[in-house]
Amino acid sequence: MATALGSISEIDRELARLRVDPDTGEPYQRTSVMTHIAWVPNEWVEAAEDVLAGLADRHPSRTIVLVPDCDRGDELEAAVEVESFPSGQGRQVAVETIRLRLCGDRAAAPASVVEPLLLPDLPVFLRWRGVPPFGEGPFEQLVDVVDRLIVDSNEWPGLPGPYAQLAEIFGRVVVSDIAWARTSRWRPQLASLWPGIADVKTIEVEGTEAQANLLAGWLRSRLGRHEIELQHTPSDRLVGVKVDGEPAPFPPGDPPDPADLLSDELDRFTRDRVYEDAARAA
Amino acid sequence: MTETAEPTTTQQENPLLEGLQIRRVPDPCALVIFGASGDLTRRKLFPALYSLALRRLLPEHFAVVGVARSEESDHGFRDRMKHAVQEFGRDDFNEGTWDWLAAGMRYVATDFANDEGQDRLASVLTELDEQRGTAGNRVYYLAVPPDAIATLIRELGERRSTEGWTRIIVEKPFGRDLASAKALNEEIQKNFDESEIFRIDHYLGKETVQNLLALRFANGIFEPIWNRQFVDHVQITVAESIGIEGRAGFYEQAGAIRDVFQNHLLQLVALTAMEPPADYAADSVRNEKVKVLRSLHTPGPNHVVRGQYGPGYIEGQEVPGYREEPGVAPDSMTETYVAAKLFVDNWRWADTPFYVRAGKRLARRETTIAIEFKRAPHPPFDIQDDSLQPNVLVCHIQPDEGVSLEFAAKVPGQGMALRTVHMDFLYGGTFRQGIPEAYERLLLDCLLGDARMFTRADEVEEQWSLVDAIVAFWQRDRPSFPNYQAGTWGPAAANELLRRDGRSWRRH
Repeated sequence: MATALGSISEIDRELARLRVDPDTGEPYQRTSVMTHIAWVPNEWVEAAEDVLAGLADRHPSRTIVLVPDCDRGDELEAAVEVESFPSGQGRQVAVETIRLRLCGDRAAAPASVVEPLLLPDLPVFLRWRGVPPFGEGPFEQLVDVVDRLIVDSNEWPGLPGPYAQLAEIFGRVVVSDIAWARTSRWRPQLASLWPGIADVKTIEVEGTEAQANLLAGWLRSRLGRHEIELQHTPSDRLVGVKVDGEPAPFPPGDPPDPADLLSDELDRFTRDRVYEDAARAA
Repeated sequence: MTETAEPTTTQQENPLLEGLQIRRVPDPCALVIFGASGDLTRRKLFPALYSLALRRLLPEHFAVVGVARSEESDHGFRDRMKHAVQEFGRDDFNEGTWDWLAAGMRYVATDFANDEGQDRLASVLTELDEQRGTAGNRVYYLAVPPDAIATLIRELGERRSTEGWTRIIVEKPFGRDLASAKALNEEIQKNFDESEIFRIDHYLGKETVQNLLALRFANGIFEPIWNRQFVDHVQITVAESIGIEGRAGFYEQAGAIRDVFQNHLLQLVALTAMEPPADYAADSVRNEKVKVLRSLHTPGPNHVVRGQYGPGYIEGQEVPGYREEPGVAPDSMTETYVAAKLFVDNWRWADTPFYVRAGKRLARRETTIAIEFKRAPHPPFDIQDDSLQPNVLVCHIQPDEGVSLEFAAKVPGQGMALRTVHMDFLYGGTFRQGIPEAYERLLLDCLLGDARMFTRADEVEEQWSLVDAIVAFWQRDRPSFPNYQAGTWGPAAANELLRRDGRSWRRH
């Protein structure tokens, strides 16, 4: 159903055309709950598509996938897709995905491309793959047009340094971090160790670097004890936490998949000050 | 069912609790289902328990004891319920989840009033307290015929344990008139506190019924016009296309007025007409509902219509009339349809009719609440035909759950032709996660001790009070039954009920 398009008006026209069921001529119902923007550099395209495929059915929305491609000439290259899902009364609900390749200088002004495509009066979420280029034009522009920024600091090298830069935008935009969400099963387990945990000296985390830093930052900020030491054993997922050498109880249930985690973040609207404190203290 | 931790004393002491999403988990307990061989247990209760188990919403220490007259082993009971979950559950079947649930399942074959059987039940429960850690906490689900409830309540009261808490879920109908409902309430109050009684009306567990409260009280635009100044009338329809499904024994005694009108339909009236509660606490919501029920009246016998279906067609298939259904008397005078014009005598709704109807073997299955607003007072357009309709806000309770608003729009082209258009919100379109079954919500609420979506004693008595008044009218005449064909929208007299007010039932 995808067609190459070169301007916003062409995108609008194509969306209008695709919103009609070709078999019946009846329009699909639109029940969007948000605009979801994904900034996806080329190296992240495959991973991003996997997650988006799991999301479309759960959060009817307009998704705008932005792929910066600065090596090419100055142009916009868009493909539009309207996917429909049954929703009772024999009707179909439409979910719209706009894939935009921002070529050449267009990659430097993404907000001007996105603004005309935002659904009115609905929240706008920005999922930024990789480390955001804090202070640089494209990122700063998009932060100013969205309500919530979703990052995954598991994707960031050089931790904990970038958390300090992230903390500088907490006052401008609500931030979610999927790496933080992945620690949510473990935090109640650690909280259950109260009051013994109040005097913790060392926390050992077997997980990603982001999870280790965030859990240590969480304990430091909540307990008001910035001297708590972190020992990190690398693992691609969080499999164990020790408090002064004693293993914390293993959380029940299975860890959520990436689409579940992003889906949960898309359900949140308010500022998470506990996360903000943890990131500052990481 | 998650909530952010409240700043309690514990949290003030433990700073790590701040911001954690803490799921409320019920206390350890054993659920005893009386009537475990019945359809409700198979079709609704076990699929609901399984869905709760799958989502880890049941307590870790949990057990279920099925009690019924028919002989069955623990193994047979587990096997039968496993098939029921596979057939009627809304989730994919997970063997591990089932094994966890099945490990705490027992079956006791006994008559409800049999002392020896009750002794065996008590000893099974004590055993489960030791083996499963259910801590003496009990939920008794009375999915039994109405005439067995009082006996069971007495038995349970006499044998109630001093250890742990006790909650009792009572299925509808609660009594068969005001006198019997009062007697049952008195029987209950001899041994149990009102806070221990959960009178279930599964309509209150439906997401869309609860959404009615969200629609009214979480939006600023509806409440200012939700009154006699702006609303012309309200129509509430609880229509079923099915017949009595082999329940002649029950239905011959109950009829539409006791099966649906007294409970589901009057609950929908109460939720539609109630004042905003001060908060969402159980008693705050129920206090407001009781005020509505207390204010309800029907103007007289001419404003109530009863009907009984004759043979007809449903979805192209020929179906028998009510009197031809197995177990129904050939001259039965039981009503399968009831419609009424009701008034809520209060400041908000004075003189605003609530037209309500409920029936079996109607043209389609549909439960809706339609708020029809007054017409625009002076449209400046030259409209020759009937194209300018009043605005209607329709809450679709089931199926196709959602809300739609009907309003006039200009037809594109020269001139000013108008047409009524629909703006629809469909639950299934916006919220893609599956809607929990009403019994899941209500079972979990009861395990958590939350009675908000259950009916209080005074609510039931007010409901019966209105039903008694209507049934009293019916003693005076003998209608000519059957008076509507299966697969239609009910008797002609129901149309006449609105026609003489210059109105009509909504088209479907």
